[in-house]
Amino acid sequence: MESPRKLPWDWYDGTVPENVVLDETAYVETAFSFYLYRSKLPVGVKIGRGASTYLGTMFDVGPRGHVVLGDYALVHGARIICDAEVEIGDYALISWNVVLMDTYRVPCDVTLRRRELELLPFRANRCLEAEAPARPIRVGRNVWIGFDACVLPGVTIGEGSVVGARSVVAEDVPPYTIVAGNPARVIRRLEERGIHDG
Amino acid sequence: MESFIVTDPLEPARWTEGIIPGNARVGPNSLINGSLAFKRFRSRRDPGLTMGACCTMDGVHFAVGEEGYVEIGDYCYFTSAILLCELEIRIGNYVVIGWNASITDTDFHPIGPAERIADAIACSPLGKGRPRPEIVRRPVIIEDDVWIGPNATILKGVRIGCGARVEAGAMVTRDVPVRSRVIGNPAQVIAEL
Repeated sequence: MESPRKLPWDWYDGTVPENVVLDETAYVETAFSFYLYRSKLPVGVKIGRGASTYLGTMFDVGPRGHVVLGDYALVHGARIICDAEVEIGDYALISWNVVLMDTYRVPCDVTLRRRELELLPFRANRCLEAEAPARPIRVGRNVWIGFDACVLPGVTIGEGSVVGARSVVAEDVPPYTIVAGNPARVIRRLEERGIHDG
Repeated sequence: MESFIVTDPLEPARWTEGIIPGNARVGPNSLINGSLAFKRFRSRRDPGLTMGACCTMDGVHFAVGEEGYVEIGDYCYFTSAILLCELEIRIGNYVVIGWNASITDTDFHPIGPAERIADAIACSPLGKGRPRPEIVRRPVIIEDDVWIGPNATILKGVRIGCGARVEAGAMVTRDVPVRSRVIGNPAQVIAEL
C-alpha cells in the first residue's frame, strides 16, 4: 500500500512529494522540508530504514537532483543543496545548520551568470535553472558532521569520520579521520576497532 | 502613502507580507519574500534602503539601525542573507548571496573593557536614556558580480572586488581583490578567477 503523503503529525499543511521514497520505518518531522524540492526524477529522494529528518532540514533539490539517505541516518536540520547527487551513508549523524552542497547553483562564468540572473526575475517561481557545475557529494557510513559545517561540491567523506562543528570541508576526508577548521584539516585518526564485530 | 517609485512599466516591486516601508525605494520587478524582511528595519534615513530592478530577496533580513543605509543594485539574488547595517552597506549589480550569510558594518559593541561595561549598562533595562559609547562602524562595499556562499560572514570595512567568489563558511575580515576566490577563517585568497 502507498504510504500516506500527508504526515499525520505535521504542523505544515503540505505533503511529501510523490517521487520521495520513504521507508515505512523512517521518520520525517515535517513536509516543509520539501518546500524547495523540485526533482523530476522517478526517485528524487530515498529515505532508508529507521532514518529520520527533523525540523530545519531542507531538501533544496533541483530538477535532476537525487538524494539518498541511508538506514538509521539522522539529519537534524541540514540544508541539502543538490542538483546532481548527495548520498548520505547508513548511521550518519548530521547536525543542525549543516550545508551539504553539490552545486554552486549559478554559473562560474560571469557572462553566463549575468544571463541567468536576468532571466530569474521573470520566472514565476524565481528559481535558478542555469546549467551550473554540480559534483556529487558522498558522506560515508557512520560519519558524524557537527553543527554549522559546510561540505563543498565534489567532496567525499570516508566511512566513520568526524567533521568538527563550523568546519568547511573543501577536500576529501579519508575514512576514520577527525577533521576540523575552516578550511578543514586532519586532526587525528580514529580506531576502527569494534566496528565490524557486529 | 508612497511605498515605492516605479520607474518602469514592468511589474511594481512587491513584498509578499505587506507594504514596503516608505523610506525603502525598491525598483520594478523586485520581489521580497518572508515575514521577517523588515522586522528589524529601523532606519530613519530617507532612503534607508535603495534596491534596483529585478532583484529576488528570498527570506532576507534587513536589520538596519536608525542611521543605517543599504544600497543594492539590479539583478541581485539573495537567499536568507542577514544584512546588519548601522552605517552603510553598498552592494553592486548581479550579486548572489547564499543561504544564512551575514554582512555587517559594525561589531555592535565597543572593544575596550571599560566602554563595554558602559555599553552593557546603557543597553540594559536600567539604562534608560543613558547614551551608548562610540561604536566603530565602517562601510561594507560589495562590487558587481560577486558570489557569496552559504554561512559566510563579511565583517565591517570590507570591500569585495568585482567578480570575486567568497566560499561557503568563509569569515571575511579584510578586502578581497577583484576576481579572486577566498576561503577559510580568516578568509585567504586561494585562486585567481
